[in-house]
Amino acid sequence: MKVAVCVKQAVDETDLRVDPSGAPMVSAASTKVSVFDKNAVEEALRLKAKAGGEVVVFCLGPPEARKTIKEVLAMGADRAVHVVGDAGSVDSMSTSYLLAKAIRRWGPFDAVLCAEGSSDTYSGQVPPMLSEWLSLPFLGYAKRVEIGASTVTAELSLEDRVETVEAPIPFLASVVSEINEPRYPTLIQIMQASKKQVEEVPAVDLAGGELPRATSVTSLTALSMDRKRIIFSGPPEEAAKKLLDALRGEGVIQK
Amino acid sequence: MTTKVWAYSESSGPASEVAAAAKKIADSCGGESVCLELDELRTQVGGCHSKLLLRSEGRLGDSVETAGAAIGEAAASSVPDLILVAATRRGREVGSMLSVKLGRPCIGESFNLRLDGSSLKGDRSVYAGRVVATVSCELPAVAVVKLGAYEPSVEDGVQVVEERVGLPKARVITTGTSKKDAAKVDLRTAKVIVSGGRGFKRREDLDLLVKLAGALGGTIGCSRPLSSDLGWLGEEYHIGLTGVNVHPNLYLAVGISGQLQHVAGIKDSRVIAAINSDKDAPIFQASDYGVVGDLYQVIPAMLRLISGQA
Repeated sequence: MKVAVCVKQAVDETDLRVDPSGAPMVSAASTKVSVFDKNAVEEALRLKAKAGGEVVVFCLGPPEARKTIKEVLAMGADRAVHVVGDAGSVDSMSTSYLLAKAIRRWGPFDAVLCAEGSSDTYSGQVPPMLSEWLSLPFLGYAKRVEIGASTVTAELSLEDRVETVEAPIPFLASVVSEINEPRYPTLIQIMQASKKQVEEVPAVDLAGGELPRATSVTSLTALSMDRKRIIFSGPPEEAAKKLLDALRGEGVIQK
Repeated sequence: MTTKVWAYSESSGPASEVAAAAKKIADSCGGESVCLELDELRTQVGGCHSKLLLRSEGRLGDSVETAGAAIGEAAASSVPDLILVAATRRGREVGSMLSVKLGRPCIGESFNLRLDGSSLKGDRSVYAGRVVATVSCELPAVAVVKLGAYEPSVEDGVQVVEERVGLPKARVITTGTSKKDAAKVDLRTAKVIVSGGRGFKRREDLDLLVKLAGALGGTIGCSRPLSSDLGWLGEEYHIGLTGVNVHPNLYLAVGISGQLQHVAGIKDSRVIAAINSDKDAPIFQASDYGVVGDLYQVIPAMLRLISGQA
């Protein structure tokens, strides 16, 4: 079983500072592996543990994204393909297009796994777009994935229901974070990760011409959390009374 | 040429929200809004100038694959300038697939959508809700519309046009469906939400949360650890970036530290209050009112005060 898993190096939103004019300083913020991607990598490793084969990581990002690639290689993925380009300047459409090109070039794969969305922009578009580019059956928001001989069974977690579905292999699935508990790499695994193969391909070479029609970000505005931040402390009974009085004063509770 | 805006959601509530968005945009330019229906008309869905009912020899609306293909086929011949899809989990998928099928740009999780000449502009929240990005693209386009961003309005008696489309071949087959607890939990429309987090030491202690919610006329929710890691509540109770996004009059966070991923899902609440034993918990920065104290003492005190026993 050959499994491709897509990961993103995301902006660490907890490290995002705002300049005096109110503009967020995105390029100055540190980056990290988009946290939900670890669930996709974990699931890929589980599929490999059951059916054998290999797990290949695909990542679109600047040279610094090598950090993220190493982190998931340490979890146990076998090798990686690094599409070198500025992920920040392309939208979901272009990202999915480039990832699809890379997955085709290094494929075929029996399964392609993604997280449900990324921790920084979270729009959940890349997985379904990727399934279209690759013409693969799509299993979105999977909370369970089981591989059979020629089919895959999955449980898809929707707002009000869970659907059990079946599809032929090869397939593409996006997984929710409830699906598993990502493993922590051991020190030995972390050391071994730097010896694993990472093939680099420039995004411009892979695109081979124009990128699909895309969106562009015209402005970024930091949102100020305009909250009152009134703190009540002291004995529980007293603090509880102050809180209830305040909420009554706001008219948000009757009692 | 009249600007045509289509609206679609497989789910009735969001369908009327996205229909309202379509009508608003169409009205801004003297255009026409069309509410898309698959297989049959839903009387509770409306708000556009007209309805377009797509039918085939089999069901279209039950799967992402068939819905996407059917709308894609209809859009390829009618060429609407803009297709809006509500950002349910399925909606994100249908919208994304349509954008690739039709070779159109797609703005995700958008609100405050407006036309600016031949381009579409929309806002969306990024970096766990800390930043609003204004995104633009050229028409024709697709936009996935954030839930709760538009007030639904239903008008009866609109003109209905019916169109036959081919039945797409589905590779993903649904073999079973089980309902979530969602009937009891309508967090998206709740006025008061009392939500619990890691501060609760044992599952049984959530009884305190239930009692407080009951006393305040609200419903319960939770942060991700309680539903995902501990499994004390179902995923449908999970409020946050990857869970439900809520906007009640009162959001009371009990024993929730207030990670950005959680705050992203509650920032549209009118009043946010928090109870936490850690005075440095980030939730207090995101709150209007906070009680620094042990929830095991504060909740019983609140219950006594509400029932008049104190």
